Amino acid sequence: MADQKLSLTLSSSPHLRSSDTVANAMQDVLLALCPVTIVSIIFFKLHAVFLILVCLAAAALTELIFRKAMNKPSSLHDGSALVTGLLVALCFGPATAWWTAALCTFIAVGVAKELMGGLGWNRFNPALFGRVSVIMLIPIFTYLSSIFVRLRPALGAIDMVTQATPLALLKQGAGLPSLANLFVAFPGGALGETSALALILGGAYLLYKQHITWEIPGAMIIAVFVVALLFGQNPLYHVLSGGVLIGAFFMATDWVTSPITPQGKLIFGAAIGVLLVIFRVGLGPTEGTAFSILIMNAFVPYIDRMTKRPKFGEVAVGQSAVTAGQPVSKTS
Amino acid sequence: MTVKTFSRGVFLPHYKEFSENKSITAIPLPKEVVIPLHQHTGAPCRAVVKPGDEVKAGQRIGESDAFVTAFIHASVDGKVKAVEPRPYFTGTNVESVVIEVDAKQGETAWQERDVSKLNIDQIKDAIKNAGIVGMGGAAFPTHVKLSPPTAIDAFIVNACECEPFLTCDHRMMVEMTDALIAGARLIQKVVSAPRVIFGVETNKPDAIQALNAKIAGETGFQVVPLDVKYPQGSEKQLIKAVCDREVPPGKLPFDVGVVVQNVATCIAVYDACRYDKPLIERVLTVTGDAAARPQNILARIGTPISHIIEHCGGFKGEAGKVIMGGPMTGWAQTRLDIPIVKGTSGILLFSQAMVAETQHMACVRCGKCVDHCPMFLYPNYIGTYAETGRFDLAAEWGAMDCFECGVCVYVCPSNRPIVQFVREAKRQIAAARAAKN
Repeated sequence: MADQKLSLTLSSSPHLRSSDTVANAMQDVLLALCPVTIVSIIFFKLHAVFLILVCLAAAALTELIFRKAMNKPSSLHDGSALVTGLLVALCFGPATAWWTAALCTFIAVGVAKELMGGLGWNRFNPALFGRVSVIMLIPIFTYLSSIFVRLRPALGAIDMVTQATPLALLKQGAGLPSLANLFVAFPGGALGETSALALILGGAYLLYKQHITWEIPGAMIIAVFVVALLFGQNPLYHVLSGGVLIGAFFMATDWVTSPITPQGKLIFGAAIGVLLVIFRVGLGPTEGTAFSILIMNAFVPYIDRMTKRPKFGEVAVGQSAVTAGQPVSKTS
Repeated sequence: MTVKTFSRGVFLPHYKEFSENKSITAIPLPKEVVIPLHQHTGAPCRAVVKPGDEVKAGQRIGESDAFVTAFIHASVDGKVKAVEPRPYFTGTNVESVVIEVDAKQGETAWQERDVSKLNIDQIKDAIKNAGIVGMGGAAFPTHVKLSPPTAIDAFIVNACECEPFLTCDHRMMVEMTDALIAGARLIQKVVSAPRVIFGVETNKPDAIQALNAKIAGETGFQVVPLDVKYPQGSEKQLIKAVCDREVPPGKLPFDVGVVVQNVATCIAVYDACRYDKPLIERVLTVTGDAAARPQNILARIGTPISHIIEHCGGFKGEAGKVIMGGPMTGWAQTRLDIPIVKGTSGILLFSQAMVAETQHMACVRCGKCVDHCPMFLYPNYIGTYAETGRFDLAAEWGAMDCFECGVCVYVCPSNRPIVQFVREAKRQIAAARAAKN
């Protein structure tokens, strides 16, 4: 035995691992986003394909560059950059210029994730942070457009029923698509808002795979419904249109930027729902979901602390043991 | 059949099929045994023999005046070769008595006694003199555990064997049922418990059947089938499942009127009382996907693991990891001259394919560890704060209440070595508290 050469691994217990990995989870998220991606491609053809490819490529490149610059090992294999890239693309409408989408993706992956320390250390949802940067940095994007305008590929006319989103129509009191249309598929707004059904399918898959739990999407959707009712608006239009469903299933449930406990998740989801309808009614029809999720992201550490559960044994259990456990001197 | 359990925890693959049907066999003696003088919780023993001394199996070779300690005995007939620090399974060196084993072993004639005539003090003395410790792995001196300052209404025999791979307790329940029940009766008498409950996981139906058949006439004896969930064999989780009582943080089982002992310990107690036989040998499982002949063996304390592995046919294919104990809480070894001790329940031989990835990522806050933690802690925060040196915050999120079961690491998609972080946090927090006082 002694002459047998052994190379034994020394590591701390436990010595078994489940098959769960971050990469597997990200693959499942990408898979869950497939239905809505396909619907958007059916509606917007090359416009959608091009936008999605630009964002995926920008996400991967940004991560490579930032990790290289910061002397960190590549993390492309975990798939989180691709998820962020796809989510950014799905947040945009088909007419979005590629340079706008690329810069937003760069900000999402580079600034909101990698500069914060990489996956796990970011406090804000990277995709949404990237998406709203287009609003916060309007002058830069306007300037960019003036430079890049000639580099816009000719992909043909966009085949849309209308450029206006259902929410804008709702606000203008214009002719609305039927609820059934809205539920199955309706080409208004962003790529990721084209089909409630596709999003629900994806969400159901994530729930089934236990990557997400029902609390955040459940609380958020119910809150949107109830608050819309209170404002005297049709709650179903609010739930089925715009970013509510993609936000509820894919953005607010982001592991890194959402609370840990079930109670925390309920509070977080409900608060997002309330803010969202207030933004929509008060401020205008766009980006209510993005801003309400980002605002609540900031509260996550406080929500976790607020909803901290008692440890095992901290709450008295087993009062049936009346004499047991009492000092012997007292009972005898 | 009502099956009980505790909340949270995790369902692990069992891996018991390698050895669960293999009867216990005694292995031949090695040429040399190494017996550490500190293989229990509490004060270390000092050697009472010196190099050159002839010793007999069962002779006391280490003792201490402390209350929380366990005497050490020679496990073989032989000659003391050295008393010196030797490598121990935790990676440190421990003062040990090295005995050259005599080729001719004398027949040790153990005195048989009628255990029913022993009073409580005699039983306790027998246990103390036999150097018995908890044999499930914690190695806490048994005579201390059997001196609770409170009234006890239930004595639970920990027969879960919830760690994957291990089958030694299972085999003992099937093959040594009478000794187990007799040992349990002795402990019941010591702690004056009206009830004796065997908590057995349902993946050992033959053990449940054997116990049920033998306790038929006993009053107060009961077998409670438990779900096969890890860490069911942890004391606090076992008490919760069986009695629905929660031991508060920082408290012990006797605070809720319960005493827990594992299967092997009960049998050792019986041997000590019946034959006045010290704890010089134990049953352990040699198994794993790289074990040529997985089996359950009876080996003397101090036997080097190299001798045991050799006896069991060595490695099958290329070895990747050798673990002393179970796969969830055991210790990886890099050398094979390490001796087995009273708390060694198994030796696992893993192939390279079974070796877990050691690279880890940052916490992605998926919450799986929080969902599964049987102590209701926040392993995510404890791990991240310990990793970044914020030990005060690690303590705030429950580092000191962790018993290192490893569930969090098992489920972690980022493969974070949270147990390792917790151990470091505990050291630092204890040091900080000591400095404050």
